[in-house]
Amino acid sequence: MGSDEVLRTHLQELRRGTVVLASLIALRHPDYGYALLQRLSGHGFPVDANTLYPLLRRLEEQGLLTSEWNTEESRPRKFYRTSDEGESVLRRLLDDLAAVQTSLTGLIEGVGR
Amino acid sequence: MTSLTDRYLAATLRTVPAARREEIATELRGSIEDMIDGRRADGRDAEAAEREVLTELGNPAQLAARYADRRLQLIGPTYYLAWERLLKLLLSFIPALVGVIVGLVEATDGNGGDAIGAGIAAAIQTVVQIGFWVTLVFALLERTNTSLNLPAWTVDQLQEDYVNRQIKPVDTVAAIGWLVLVIAYLPLQHFHSFVPGDDGGNLPILDPALWSFWLPVLMAVLVATVGLEFAKFRAGRWTWPLVGVNAALNVAFAAPVIWLISADRLLNPDFVNRWEWLSREENLNNVATVVIVGTVLITAWDVIDSAIKAYRTRH
Repeated sequence: MGSDEVLRTHLQELRRGTVVLASLIALRHPDYGYALLQRLSGHGFPVDANTLYPLLRRLEEQGLLTSEWNTEESRPRKFYRTSDEGESVLRRLLDDLAAVQTSLTGLIEGVGR
Repeated sequence: MTSLTDRYLAATLRTVPAARREEIATELRGSIEDMIDGRRADGRDAEAAEREVLTELGNPAQLAARYADRRLQLIGPTYYLAWERLLKLLLSFIPALVGVIVGLVEATDGNGGDAIGAGIAAAIQTVVQIGFWVTLVFALLERTNTSLNLPAWTVDQLQEDYVNRQIKPVDTVAAIGWLVLVIAYLPLQHFHSFVPGDDGGNLPILDPALWSFWLPVLMAVLVATVGLEFAKFRAGRWTWPLVGVNAALNVAFAAPVIWLISADRLLNPDFVNRWEWLSREENLNNVATVVIVGTVLITAWDVIDSAIKAYRTRH
């Protein structure tokens, strides 16, 4: 395993949890699968389609997203939206991310001194 | 002809729970068409865009597993160690036990010649059966998320000399068990070989003349080997003195066996004459060659193996 491969797996691990976070934030504004995929990658969260689509369903089953079918356009689309429960989970996750960032900053400064 | 998208959807939905199949189908079809439209807007032609999108979505079976939240492993980390331990425990003695029992039953039925083959075949079948059923049960546990309620690991389970212990209790018990069986077999074959003689009694397999000296010697060597197993267990690892004693005992057993069979003195002449195939000169010589080569190989391997292990503990 080359060092590129090592870096790639570590980056993948680091990014894995942030897809949920990004989806919950983005879906404060309702959207359907493909449009969400585009928005996320446009904001620096490249996600594989085969990861995102099943993830949306799982978050819906967990009650963090609600969904609604829109049949007005050319093809029926399922729009997801972050639920109240999803919103409170999201806030806890964002707090935790901030705490991780703070801890890292403290650690970096501590080591630097 | 169905389109690639139709076929992809069918392949994906086949293993998705039926209750949600239709909804997932509609949504996934919409998503695929959206993705195709996106590529066509970038100037790709319809066919190429469809191929690219489906390739990007990847193996339908994998996508379906993600939708169904299904495990893509037979036995995961929760159960793997318990599975491994149980399998090792069962395989350490049950196949050998079954093999010996089947061999003995076969022998008491009067099929002395088939006993060893039947025993080995039964042991191999037992290995396969144990492997299959234990793995099946754990694979089901993995899929049903059943809790095993195993006692949690504690520091008290650490064995004092675990790190350096090369000789495991299981190995010692197995080795002594085999030695005792062989020691018991030497007199057993004399009185009860399961090979009927002309007078209705049993024909000894080994030459009865050997009882005056060589068979007691071989038994004594085997008894001494049992002692060596005990000493080895106490030491916990191979040491150079143990390697020396082991080599001496190996030679003390192998040398008489090789010499006796090459001098045609090991097997009972009546037993040899009982079998037409065996009583032919060239066949008897072949049997002797196989026994000699086998004995040399086993002896050499045992001595070399012990020396390697002793060397490793030093380095």
